[in-house]
Amino acid sequence: MQPSSKEMQGMAGGLAASAVAAHIALQELQNGGGADHDDFLDQMMSGLAPAWQMGLGGYDEASLLASRFRQHQAASGGSPPPTGKSMLLQLNHHHYAHHASPQQQLLLQSMGQPPAGGGGDSGGFLPPPLSLGSRGSGDSGLLFDRSREEVDAPFKSSDSTTEKKPSFSAKNSPFYSSKEAEALYNGFEESLQRAAQAPNQHQHFHYPQNHRGAPPAAAGKGQVPAAASGSPSTGGGAVPPRPRVRARRGQATDPHSIAERLRRERIAERMKALQELVPNANTTDKASMLDEIIDYVKFLQLQVLSMSRLGGAAAVAPLVADMSSEVFLVSVQKAIVAIDHCHDDRTEDCTWWQAGAGRGGADGAAANDGLTAAEHQVAKLLEEDMGSAMQYLQGKGLCLMPISLASAISSATCHPRPPIPGSLSQLNRRTAPSPHAAGDAPSSPSMSALTVQSTNGGGDADVSRPSRCKD
Amino acid sequence: MESKSFTTGNRDNPNTDLHGSKNMMASHFLRALFRIQQTSTSSSSFAGRSRRIRRAAYASMAYSAGARRAWSRALLRKLRSRARLRFPRRLSRTARPQRRDMDQAQVLRKLVPGGPSMDYCKLLEETADYIRCLTTQVRLMQTVMDSISSYAHHPMIP
Repeated sequence: MQPSSKEMQGMAGGLAASAVAAHIALQELQNGGGADHDDFLDQMMSGLAPAWQMGLGGYDEASLLASRFRQHQAASGGSPPPTGKSMLLQLNHHHYAHHASPQQQLLLQSMGQPPAGGGGDSGGFLPPPLSLGSRGSGDSGLLFDRSREEVDAPFKSSDSTTEKKPSFSAKNSPFYSSKEAEALYNGFEESLQRAAQAPNQHQHFHYPQNHRGAPPAAAGKGQVPAAASGSPSTGGGAVPPRPRVRARRGQATDPHSIAERLRRERIAERMKALQELVPNANTTDKASMLDEIIDYVKFLQLQVLSMSRLGGAAAVAPLVADMSSEVFLVSVQKAIVAIDHCHDDRTEDCTWWQAGAGRGGADGAAANDGLTAAEHQVAKLLEEDMGSAMQYLQGKGLCLMPISLASAISSATCHPRPPIPGSLSQLNRRTAPSPHAAGDAPSSPSMSALTVQSTNGGGDADVSRPSRCKD
Repeated sequence: MESKSFTTGNRDNPNTDLHGSKNMMASHFLRALFRIQQTSTSSSSFAGRSRRIRRAAYASMAYSAGARRAWSRALLRKLRSRARLRFPRRLSRTARPQRRDMDQAQVLRKLVPGGPSMDYCKLLEETADYIRCLTTQVRLMQTVMDSISSYAHHPMIP
């Protein structure tokens, strides 16, 4: 039959009214919450009835449906809303399954054809009027991305854990000739769900189409992203994140392997923490990482040893005898506070040492020319034993100290003093030594630079220490 | 895992706690240093003095970590028993290439105080804390040296 525009419009108008009523009801539903469930349905029924009467004349079926629905509701009494909705859907299903062709006819009629006016054809009135109304009321914003199966299947399997779309197409696809129609229906359903029960239960029902447009989408936005994020897993039987320890595929769930896994995770955590501590730890390999860790610990212990030897050499009476105890302590504490700021990345670079002239009366005697030979000698000694190297230096009135120390000494306590420039020579075990004395600053006349690569440090040749500012 | 870090870059580390432990370490170490300096005469050997300083350094490390850590407890035990404070510090005589995973854990156990009585997981955790404490101690000693030397050349003007 040919669609007559007038009938279409009339029907559309009636349906639009019903759709508007549906929308209003939906909004009320969202606002009201689950308690209004029954009222909402009543409204729906009442609102739709005139449309049905007006448009389709298949009121008998509609009232039959409504009454059946109410029976179900009455029967279930205080049953949780999902039951009600599942009933609703089951009814729909029932109608779909058994009245597929009449429904199809109905849709076709409502879409493009004048109403047949037949009683038996108006099965499933509840959904179609809503869906049809979408055309007139501008609900076209709700796009239907997926077929009805997604909606129905979860209901049917009541809290099923699958998000797959079962193949309902055989039964229902002929019914879906309009995407907008489905959209409104789905929106209706979803708003029912949302309003009537806690959102958590339906997280795996997601309606991406509700992201845009209509008021139902507003309430759905909060839920849908959560649902969408929670349910993208493929494969059958993906468990929602309820169990705390989730067994992956192929892994046994017995306590031993779980404990094993936990242990491995803990070890990995600790290795990561260690990796942050140890400088230049770019290796991801576990064995080499352990090597680095071991080397670093050894290096630090060696550093403590050297510092103590330095202190032992420097703690000769002349150095500290001049100070009173309080001054000593106070100043050092101040220095400790100051040192925090600029000493973050120094320790790991302390592979470079610098011998400065000690106080032992060798102030002016640390002539530049005398250093070259001493450098070699010290380097040779350092390779074997640090103690003898220190003693050798001490005999010469020199002492060995890290470069950072020397630079800090020259620029200590924020006095405006020219720091020792980076002109510190390097003595490399492997390469030929380049002797150079950095007796630069007139303020630290007794400082002459002799840099020796620490035996335990990294092997790079050209590290010229930036001067450290102790502000 | 209680991670008390001495480095400013660590994420779980309130600054207050940082300074507290550092100050404790510093004051302990300085007092020990001063004691050593007072009791040392011109006839004391360089080696003896440096050993005492080293012992003082490890003692202040252990005291700053307290009894919270297994390594600090082991270290305190070692110090109190007046045993000779020894650490494997062979410079370049160890045969490195032969190291495998098991050996590495063994080597690490020898380095970290209290190591032999820990399982691997705990060993890693203790190593991390030990490294942090060591770095703090080294910095502290460097600062001390700074101050001493600066005073030697430039007496402080209050």
